[in-house]
Amino acid sequence: MNLQPVQRILGLLLMIFSFAMLPPAGVSLIYADGEALHFAESFLLLLAVGAMIWYPVRNNRRDLRRRDGALIVALFWSVLGIAGAAPLLLALDLNFSEAAFEAVSGLTTTGATVITGLDELPKSVLFYRQMLQWFGGMGIIVLAVAILPLLGVGGMQLYRAEAPGPSKDTKLTPRITETAKTLWLIYLLFTVLCAVSYRLVGMNWFDAIGHSFSTIAIGGFSPHDASLGHFNSAAVEMVAVVFMFIAGINFALHFQALRRGRVDAYARDPEFRAYAFLLLVLSVFVSLYLVAENWASEGETDIVRAVFQSVSIMTTTGFTSSDFSAWPGMLPVLLILSSFVGACANSTGGGMKVIRWVLLLKQGWREVRRLVHPHAQFVTKMGNRAVGERVVGAVWGFFSVYVAVFALMMILTMALGLDHVTAFSAVAACLNNLGPGLGEVAANYASVPDSVKWVLVFAMLLGRLEIFTLLILLTPAFWRR
Amino acid sequence: MKFSVVQRILGVLLMGFSITMLPPMLVSFYYADSGSLPFYLSFLTSLLLGLAIWFPVRNDRRELQAREGFMVVTMFWVVLGLFAALPFLLAMQPHLTWTEAVFEAVSGLTTTGATVLTGIDELPASILWYRQQLQWIGGLAVVVIALAILPLLGVGGMQLYRSETSGPSKHDKLLPRVRKMTSSFLGVYVAITLACALAYWLAGMSGFDAAAHALSTVSTGGFSTHDASMAYFGSSMIEGVAIVFMIIGGISFGLHFAAIHNRTLREYWRNAECRAFLLALLAVALVAMLYLMFRDEHDSLGKAFMAAAFQVVAVMTTTGFSTDDFSTWPAFLPVLLMFISIMGASGGSTGGGMKVVRFQLLFKQGVREVERVIHPQAEIPVKLGKRVVPDRVIEAVWGFFATYTFVYVILMLLFLATGMDQVSAFSAVAATLNNLGPGLGDVASNFTQTTDFAKWVGVAGMLLGRLEIFTLLVLLTPEFWRH
Repeated sequence: MNLQPVQRILGLLLMIFSFAMLPPAGVSLIYADGEALHFAESFLLLLAVGAMIWYPVRNNRRDLRRRDGALIVALFWSVLGIAGAAPLLLALDLNFSEAAFEAVSGLTTTGATVITGLDELPKSVLFYRQMLQWFGGMGIIVLAVAILPLLGVGGMQLYRAEAPGPSKDTKLTPRITETAKTLWLIYLLFTVLCAVSYRLVGMNWFDAIGHSFSTIAIGGFSPHDASLGHFNSAAVEMVAVVFMFIAGINFALHFQALRRGRVDAYARDPEFRAYAFLLLVLSVFVSLYLVAENWASEGETDIVRAVFQSVSIMTTTGFTSSDFSAWPGMLPVLLILSSFVGACANSTGGGMKVIRWVLLLKQGWREVRRLVHPHAQFVTKMGNRAVGERVVGAVWGFFSVYVAVFALMMILTMALGLDHVTAFSAVAACLNNLGPGLGEVAANYASVPDSVKWVLVFAMLLGRLEIFTLLILLTPAFWRR
Repeated sequence: MKFSVVQRILGVLLMGFSITMLPPMLVSFYYADSGSLPFYLSFLTSLLLGLAIWFPVRNDRRELQAREGFMVVTMFWVVLGLFAALPFLLAMQPHLTWTEAVFEAVSGLTTTGATVLTGIDELPASILWYRQQLQWIGGLAVVVIALAILPLLGVGGMQLYRSETSGPSKHDKLLPRVRKMTSSFLGVYVAITLACALAYWLAGMSGFDAAAHALSTVSTGGFSTHDASMAYFGSSMIEGVAIVFMIIGGISFGLHFAAIHNRTLREYWRNAECRAFLLALLAVALVAMLYLMFRDEHDSLGKAFMAAAFQVVAVMTTTGFSTDDFSTWPAFLPVLLMFISIMGASGGSTGGGMKVVRFQLLFKQGVREVERVIHPQAEIPVKLGKRVVPDRVIEAVWGFFATYTFVYVILMLLFLATGMDQVSAFSAVAATLNNLGPGLGDVASNFTQTTDFAKWVGVAGMLLGRLEIFTLLVLLTPEFWRH
């Protein structure tokens, strides 16, 4: 395996990423919070390291192949995650584990935090956290649209023919460039719209921009300890609901709808229909459950909160407006479980993705029908297209491996000292790139041991890379020629 | 759909089942516990009802098709589960509600071993005997259904066992296959039970306890005649005997049959599933032993060693005996034990869970999916032993796993809705769906404290586990009822 092209890209990525330190430095100068120097140092450090990696192989312009793609995305999130910890280490009183956790959580758009007293932190650091998520979201779009379909991770070859741009080309570079440019524009458009909407319902510009970053990226970081609960405003929560919902939709679908200027592209997409339906059912169920348990003490707002919390968690954003871990009966666990469904494929959301659940359901039903008619040939369909047997197998496999990884990590974190409820929800929240959990990790991850933080960092990376992308790197077959 | 055939079998089953009320009556007379009346009434009710169901269609001797097979298996567990509750309902001691009686009966028949009774030591001998006997009958039924019927129905990839060369029957017709297998396995089953009872007796149990515990050991049921379960005896000899016979109960009876038939033990090691089962048992037991010793929560190394070995075997074979309160073991051990009960014992054994062979296949299939991502063009077969597993079986196993997980989650949410905490709810599902018995938290020793609704959820879990979920799901499809 020739690693030089990968090395070149990694160096370039680091150099590009180093420029992400400049906007927070600017924010620091505006608010005069005295952190500008730390960001400038981080900028120079990352730029220098990136250049050192890039320089020796700068002339290697060989095209990337499928396998290189897996390695690059794995490096993107792990190396940039660690690199992103640099300013946090310099500016805040965090140890390396905490800083790495925070940065990886940001970049994978998880939104789990180890920091308390957010409201008191320098503005530049707060801005940086939000921005990390926004960049992470941009990375996810490339990953989901260009790389996962090509690798065929967990049935994502379904999307091979759908992405905009010269998609049938198996060479990675042109495909990424074209696709990314188009979808990033849409991403930017939504972010601007979201920021303006937040501003209109009463946030100041700093909060509006900061939250729009983490909303469209389905991240869930907030510059406030109380998350969106800080604003105590139904209007803010409804704006968040709308934009979380939009960000959880397949971006290739947005592209189609915008290009044709029509919205019926959405209505015809089976994944979107299932996504909207599930969100509706979950929101109604949670609202009714709260009403039935007489949890609604402040009348109307509690319905808004139920809807907000359902959408926030199922899309794996992880904003909170009330402490859902204290909700009655099955609700806390139900909400955490809903994050396993997650958002649509090719969105910035996490979880297992709605499309896979739709396929699982159809395949499961096919298995039942096969028992009644053992000799009949049943075809699993998606929309009007038959789904190939290879995709069917890949989706089953994805589900099983996901569950197995979840169970193993839960056991491991319990061995390292978490209790049952905390371990269950922390692993779910990180693997699904959700953020908040239950028990000890309901608000933040400050109290979990460092060893557990590293396990959870690994969980966040696994979830973001849809497990298989990372898993294949651990097999000898991958490294063989 | 030919209902008359199903009706005839149901009648025969009920009449046959009514006979099982007679041994407890004998026990009652022998111990003079004046508890014979409920059994007599149950005997009459089942017999007469069975007769009434059977008589109109007694001449319908048509062959059963696969579809009726689903009906018969479902009815076996549901209807007999309800009738088995009669003696509990009629008995003066224990005094059970309708819900509790059904829970106890279904728990017995499905060889789960979860109980709603406390003060078991004080109960009449006849009731105690009846509970143990229910498990024994259930165990035999589990084996016959798993090896004779489910392979023909193809539930969850079990068509794998269809052409099992070591099995006693290669019939492709349901009823002859069931008859042949029942008569072959009955001998093996009785022989192993007798050996177990003898071993218990020699290890120091009373005659009654030895026989009673043999019934629930070989069937991997887990009911005991004492509140403290196996801890009552406090004897490592007895625990050793239990370990051996629980493992035997957790191995396919097709293999036992072949081993006895061919007079060789090689069959066991040559069978891929049995090998994996034993190795997994060993691995988990080692982890538990090392962890318990390391944490030093037991008085001596020997005690920790024995407790770990016993508890791991009891949980993984889904027997559910206990010598030590494992729900208070440190850190991840309680949850690990619950997880391994999801894997459970071998297919064709009396144990529950998803079965080792399915986990083996899932693992191999998972590895194949990883390889496929690396080499998208390669054709990679999944093998079990030396045989290539057909794609149809592979998909059925994936589907089984996904559905099992899904049902697990739904039941857990229902338990949570009854007000249980998360640990109890999680383990209550493991305890019932895997036909294990004891859980953690509120349900660590029994289900007495749970609400009635939770008990019905538990009953549903136990039945779903024994029906391997799909047998019941099939009945819910419109296609099934169409001609």
